[in-house]
Amino acid sequence: MAERSFTKEVEQLRLGDGDTFVGEGILAVTKALLQSGVSYVGGYQGAPVSHLMDVLNDARPIMDELGVHVETCASEAGAAAMLGASINYPIRGAATWKSTVGTNVASDALSNLASAGVTGGAMIVIGEDYGEGASIIQERSHAFAVKSQIWLLDPRPNLPSIVKMVEKGFELSEASSTPVMLELRIRACHVHGSFATRDNQRGTFSGQNRIADPSFDYGRICLPPSTYVQEKDKIERRWPAAVDFIRDHELNEFFGGSADDVGIICQGGMYNAVIRALQQLGLADVYGESVIPIYCLNVTYPLVPSEVTAFCASKRTVLMVEEAQPAYLEDAVNAALRKSDVQTRVMGKGLLPMAGEYTGEVVLNGIARFIEGAVPKGVDLGPVLDSHQRITAAKQKAMKILGEPIPTRPPSFCTGCPERPVFSAMKLAEKSVGKFHVSADIGCHTFSTLPPFNIGNTVLGYGLGLASSTGVGPNMERRVVSVMGDGGFWHNGLTSGVANAVFNNDDGVLVIMNNGYTSATGHQAVPSSVQGGGIRSEAFQPDGQDIERALRGVGVKWIRHVRTYSVSRVMGTLRDAMTTRRGGLKVIIADGECQLARQRRIKPEVRARVTAGKRDVRTRFGVDEDVCTGDHSCIRLSGCPSLTVKPTSDPLRDDPVAHVNNDCVGCGVCGEVSHAAVLCPSFFKADIVRNPGRFDRWRERLRARVIGRLSGADRVTGPEAAA
Amino acid sequence: MSTPRATTVLIAALGGEGGGVLAGWLVDTAGRAGHWVQQTSIPGVAQRTGATTYYIEIMERPAGDDRQPVMALTASPGNVDVMVASELLEAGRALENGYVTPDRTTLIASTHRIFCMAEKSAMGDGRYDAERVRRAAKQMAARQVLFDMHAAAEQAGTVISAVLFGAMAGANVLPLSRDAFEDAIRAGGVAVDASLAGFGRGFYMAQDGRPANPVGNTSQAVSDDDGLGDRTLTDRINRNLPGMLQELAREGARRLIDYQGVGYARFYLDRLEPMAKLDATRGGAGRQFALSREVTRRLAVWMAFEDLIRVADLKIRPERVARVRAEVRAAADEPVIITEFLKPGVDEVASLLPPRLGRWATGLADRAGVRYRMNVGMHVSSTRLRGFLPMWLLSRLRGWRPRTLRFAEEQDRIERWLQVIQDAVEVDYDLAREIAIAGKVVRGYSDTHRRGIRNFALLMGAVPECMAAREPARSFCRLRDAALADPEGDALDIALAEMRATPTSGATAVA
Repeated sequence: MAERSFTKEVEQLRLGDGDTFVGEGILAVTKALLQSGVSYVGGYQGAPVSHLMDVLNDARPIMDELGVHVETCASEAGAAAMLGASINYPIRGAATWKSTVGTNVASDALSNLASAGVTGGAMIVIGEDYGEGASIIQERSHAFAVKSQIWLLDPRPNLPSIVKMVEKGFELSEASSTPVMLELRIRACHVHGSFATRDNQRGTFSGQNRIADPSFDYGRICLPPSTYVQEKDKIERRWPAAVDFIRDHELNEFFGGSADDVGIICQGGMYNAVIRALQQLGLADVYGESVIPIYCLNVTYPLVPSEVTAFCASKRTVLMVEEAQPAYLEDAVNAALRKSDVQTRVMGKGLLPMAGEYTGEVVLNGIARFIEGAVPKGVDLGPVLDSHQRITAAKQKAMKILGEPIPTRPPSFCTGCPERPVFSAMKLAEKSVGKFHVSADIGCHTFSTLPPFNIGNTVLGYGLGLASSTGVGPNMERRVVSVMGDGGFWHNGLTSGVANAVFNNDDGVLVIMNNGYTSATGHQAVPSSVQGGGIRSEAFQPDGQDIERALRGVGVKWIRHVRTYSVSRVMGTLRDAMTTRRGGLKVIIADGECQLARQRRIKPEVRARVTAGKRDVRTRFGVDEDVCTGDHSCIRLSGCPSLTVKPTSDPLRDDPVAHVNNDCVGCGVCGEVSHAAVLCPSFFKADIVRNPGRFDRWRERLRARVIGRLSGADRVTGPEAAA
Repeated sequence: MSTPRATTVLIAALGGEGGGVLAGWLVDTAGRAGHWVQQTSIPGVAQRTGATTYYIEIMERPAGDDRQPVMALTASPGNVDVMVASELLEAGRALENGYVTPDRTTLIASTHRIFCMAEKSAMGDGRYDAERVRRAAKQMAARQVLFDMHAAAEQAGTVISAVLFGAMAGANVLPLSRDAFEDAIRAGGVAVDASLAGFGRGFYMAQDGRPANPVGNTSQAVSDDDGLGDRTLTDRINRNLPGMLQELAREGARRLIDYQGVGYARFYLDRLEPMAKLDATRGGAGRQFALSREVTRRLAVWMAFEDLIRVADLKIRPERVARVRAEVRAAADEPVIITEFLKPGVDEVASLLPPRLGRWATGLADRAGVRYRMNVGMHVSSTRLRGFLPMWLLSRLRGWRPRTLRFAEEQDRIERWLQVIQDAVEVDYDLAREIAIAGKVVRGYSDTHRRGIRNFALLMGAVPECMAAREPARSFCRLRDAALADPEGDALDIALAEMRATPTSGATAVA
């Protein structure tokens, strides 16, 4: 059960000629794939295209009707390899993943796919995880397109343009026997808009019309001499074919403008930001009517040299708006102009920053400086610069009034997260076994590197937590602790990490966070996920894909299961793993279902039980304000969002006191931590009995009477008081 | 320029707060009204409790004009019409980023605070000064709608997004009718009535434009009856203490009567009165008695140190049970079982013994090397007889407390502290005041308490050096802050080392 359900939205995938689709980017892309007659789709989740996988899964019924196969791939490498179906056969297919990291994982298959070339259209929908909200290293996918010769589509970020580029992309792919990438930036993936739909197409071949005879063509095999032929074919046939197609079908767009002695060339994805900046400077209107001519590259690789020179020839200078680095496009444009001996000055990096996301503000500043320097004919600089000045001044004023910067608020472990206590335990274990090197992994657990824990010395990639400990481990005095999520474990950690460590008899400790889903990406299922939610823990499953069985299968001897919420036990198990004489790999499977998923699962159940008048115990934790001395050690060791501070109501004290707010889900970690760390007696656990039984009420009355009297209170508290 | 432009709305929220729902409602509302509308957000892990944003652009469709406007995917400074923030600091972030400008931005924000890790994990008070944000909002926003929407949501039994949505409608800044807004909520179909109730409150507050509730208001209920129940104490306070300290002193006396008894409260005044006199002779009157004010509160808190007896006493009180019931929102007919997490160690137990015996015990534990490792973890239910009785018996030990090791030790430290303050005031009034504040360094339990004792000793030892410094108060203040900077106490060691390394001592340290 994924975090977000699209079961309602996917109905729009049935829309046909003359209908209007209203919704978000990823859904529009899916509709476009169906309109393009794909026969198979798949991928691996990861923001910003996680929800594309959710949509594909929720759309299975519709997909089945069209005979489209949906594959939930084990990794991006698997997804890329799946595209091999289009090498020999005239069937269209698409794969999706987060880039550049996913493209890194996929690149082996991608290189071979691109070299062999395709018969049916093959498209990779990449979520370019760059800029605000990105969770990975900041790189461009552009390099992969260039090095493997895969065409790179970068449509204007509105649904009609995106849909058109998906459809044209398949034609381009087939016209040039080359796979294509559709690059969607973070915000474009969920941009909400509308477009006129067309009927869905059935693939020539599909699950409903299967291929009878497999075809063999040695020319498609990536072995010499084919590979040499393939490389030549890339240059001599496929590339020119692509350039012709892009020009003839006008995939790139020209937008006229009166000030035609200057111009702006931009990536399709940057177009809206450019228009908005010009609008703010009074040089364009809201409909995109611009005073400055614009050449919009919806295809950023390959370039169409004739178009570039045609646009630039009549201009003194042009601005290249190209997000991120290296400046592939700016260099390519320069090269194209020099080759055709056009002397137009190309501005770009310098006026615009070399690195970092091109937000509205960045583009505004860059274009303002360009206009100021270029002085386009017929443009009165005065108002342009004024409006820019006004905007920047306001920001500076606000900062001045604030005086000190606003503290950052990075993402973190959720309330009741089962992974957080593992790091509390690590912090505490350090006290007895000494500080140890932790090689972290990708997943929610990477938040351990942030305050208050700051645990995790390196992050090398998804599922590579253990693999990245093999070099440092033998050089450390104490054993290295590696972390891995169940997602990373199945993605590649089992082989690249565990099997490898056992094979080399590496001495180390691995903690596997078994929370039942790929939680960071929105609770997609992993092989060890349990139908209907929850997780397999101690209960050993004879069937199914079980983490422990997999570990034993590759020869791990030392395996411990531990419930993450019992901090002391986790701490003890860690200590054992760190200190035991046993060599080799020691694996701790930390069991605790993702609390977000769990709450979503059990809330309805509880509500039903309570409304049905059945007995139910609700647990909440709290802090006694008059016992808390405002030292906040608990917060530094727990880091739970619901464990916060509030102003003390004690006029004699000044420091704020710890406080558990009403988001508390009663996981009990705060109490466990204060216990394990011997912090303070301020924490309490409150079990609230809803729909109490006769026994509950009798015991409560007794309590109230006896305790009430002893505690010197004729003021009896509890139910009677209210009754 | 005069041509039409889109109305831009930027929503700043925290992951998991329902900002997505709010944005969805607005998009739906605009769609129903037949306007062009575009929304973008930042999907993925950014939405796990961290600060995140949703950006919406709305534009009316002129009759007979089907040209689709080009809408931006990110907000840009000076280009935001409605800035919505679900929490005060996020409003501050928006101001910082230039999204609130006097020429066009209406700022709609809740004034409640959700503290960042940096703010709440500080050992003392690390909270950002909310006033800065309010000041900036007042000066930068064309119009502001600020009130505690979290409270409003609680009252309406709904989530904050509903109240924010109502405020957006009430502010009359969007080309949409109230009905259109409410239809969107109905269409959502989830907890409609509660959401509409929250919407109503938000709408009303925005229309009414009433001032915001103050954040973090500390309730200091002062009753006419001073609750001392002892005339002589009342008289002493009224007679021997400056007027502006009397309420605080009464509070302190009350605390100590509750803690130990009237005699102990007298002892408190015996210590306090000379301080007040000394303060007066050092021009305290002109300084609102800053020194003795600090002593008044710190002394009372310190004298009411938290030992096992006190904790047991506090935890079994009827009013505490009532407070817990209210906090966890237990209905009248729902029994509540409270479980305490106690883990007394050698020191805690020994601290209840007579000084000599206690020291012998801890010495023994030290030699055995178990002093800080031997703890008895207990989950005690103070609402069940089995758990209540031992705690009740413990709380009865109050009469025995003055004979305990802990009592003796704390009194020694207090005396030393008072002495140092008196010596310091001869040299520098502000230094004395800072030392008085340092009374809060000794607090907490087990490790925290041990650390406090260590830091306290170091601080008192450093006072002579601070006296020699060019700015005694500031150099001591710096040390005290260091003592509260990190759990391990490294910061204090470093600060001390720095101060001693430089001949001009504190002077350069603070420069």
